[in-house]
Amino acid sequence: MSTLTQPTLDEARIDRPGGASNILAVVRLHLVNRYSVFAVPWMIMGGIFVVNVAVWWIIFASVSSEADRADARDGITYSGALFYIFVYMLVLGIQAVAYTFPFALGFSVTRRDFWLGSALTFIALSAVYSAGLTILAAIEVATDGWGLGGTMFASFYFGGADASWIERFGLYFATYLFFYFVGAAIATIYQRWRNNGMLALFGTLGIVLIAGIALVSFTSSWPAVGAWFDTNGPSGVIAWSLAPTVVAAITGYFILRRATPKN
Amino acid sequence: MSAVVEASHLTRRFGDTTAVDDVSFSVQKNTIHGLLGRNGAGKTTLMQLLTGQDFATRGDIRIFGEHPVENSGVLKNVCFIKESQRYPDDFKPRHVFTSAPWFFPNWDAEFADRLIADFRLPLNRRIKKLSRGQLSAIGVIVGLASRAPLTFFDEPYLGLDAVARQIFYDRLLEDFGENPRTVILSTHLIDEVSNLLEHVLVIDEGKLLVDQDAETLRGSATTVVGTRQGVDAFVADRDVLHRDGIGGLASVTVGRLTPQDRARATEMGLELSPVSLQQLVVRLTGSNQTETVLEQSA
Repeated sequence: MSTLTQPTLDEARIDRPGGASNILAVVRLHLVNRYSVFAVPWMIMGGIFVVNVAVWWIIFASVSSEADRADARDGITYSGALFYIFVYMLVLGIQAVAYTFPFALGFSVTRRDFWLGSALTFIALSAVYSAGLTILAAIEVATDGWGLGGTMFASFYFGGADASWIERFGLYFATYLFFYFVGAAIATIYQRWRNNGMLALFGTLGIVLIAGIALVSFTSSWPAVGAWFDTNGPSGVIAWSLAPTVVAAITGYFILRRATPKN
Repeated sequence: MSAVVEASHLTRRFGDTTAVDDVSFSVQKNTIHGLLGRNGAGKTTLMQLLTGQDFATRGDIRIFGEHPVENSGVLKNVCFIKESQRYPDDFKPRHVFTSAPWFFPNWDAEFADRLIADFRLPLNRRIKKLSRGQLSAIGVIVGLASRAPLTFFDEPYLGLDAVARQIFYDRLLEDFGENPRTVILSTHLIDEVSNLLEHVLVIDEGKLLVDQDAETLRGSATTVVGTRQGVDAFVADRDVLHRDGIGGLASVTVGRLTPQDRARATEMGLELSPVSLQQLVVRLTGSNQTETVLEQSA
């Protein structure tokens, strides 16, 4: 049969990279449904914001003494309201691999191009959303908490009211990246090993967590752990989050390289 | 003629099941191949291997002369439509057709629009809410409009009604005439596609049973009908594929007949009728006494 073969039968070339156009096509594929990618996150954020404004207003209206108000304001700087938006990004990261990956493979995309395109998408989306949050934080600080002394965007975890815009942007950016890549990497484990992979992952995580707690407790090192968080501060801790983000990005790639989507 | 697909000693094991078992064949350029076999015979796994979606345990695959796995140069020329294709959760058909041209260089948007109208596919309904047939229509449209030099259809029309299936066959043939390409079609509706196929591959329990051009295959078996005595005398020293009988009548399927055989049968007052591709596949893969006859005719 092989005597009949003419098409370029040069040496076997595996892993031939697809070039920038394939990677960009994956980026566009991730963004093709603009509603889910752009509208929904801002709608979620808008919803959270409205609830927060209502809470601030209730506090503002019911607390009359200036000292008590300052107290309340202090408490509000520990707002975790933004957490929800990051969880949504975790879900988007998971969906990128759980749904878009099998679809992209059906469109004859290589796993390599898919992962690189996805990574690029995550980075671009993180930048866009971080810019949005940075602007909102600036408005929040400038208007003294939307006129109600509230805090949602310039919260303690993202540098507080005194942070520079660049610092804030960096913190948001790192947090977005963390959730995207960790979500995507977890989903690659499912694509590759299905339920067994999930059981192994969460089993291992549980064991590591308990072992860590045991280690710290038995060596009476809790003060040291507390000190570490204290010295690094929220900014330091978030900067450290880049380490697991990079680990997730790299392991996700290698896991996905041998994954076959099933049904 | 040149081989677009070449598989040699291809094997894929999952634990202790062998989904594809030492399969070797090649597919010539610009032909329509049928990949036939029962559920679980290994058709989908074979196609996943050929398109680089799955990884071979052993053996070698060349698509356009190269390994397909993670080879975007090769995959750009391949379109694989499968019954079980998943779509992103929030997608509507329009998202699929918007993004398809980014991945298939030969995409024909006008052709796609025509097919969308033919299949009456709603573009703005969420894919999750589509009927099984509409879901299949998306795949069929992508497979046809992508005009990939090598197109795989794996059970492309689950849930499609007879009209829609006919549209698929018609459009496939029309477009094949204008834009020749290589098509590998797996289906259970063998009789419907029988006239479409130029070459047939039959796979059963992971093994390749038949690799033959359709014309030869159609003539490879004949049913002999007549009195039990006459039929028995005629088939005495032949391999019998299948036997039916009522009272004094018998109907027996045997392998290829020579013109002399045919003349003799007519003399003996026996009726000869061709066996359809579907019946042939049923008989080949239906029981355990399969292989003998086809090996002789092949």
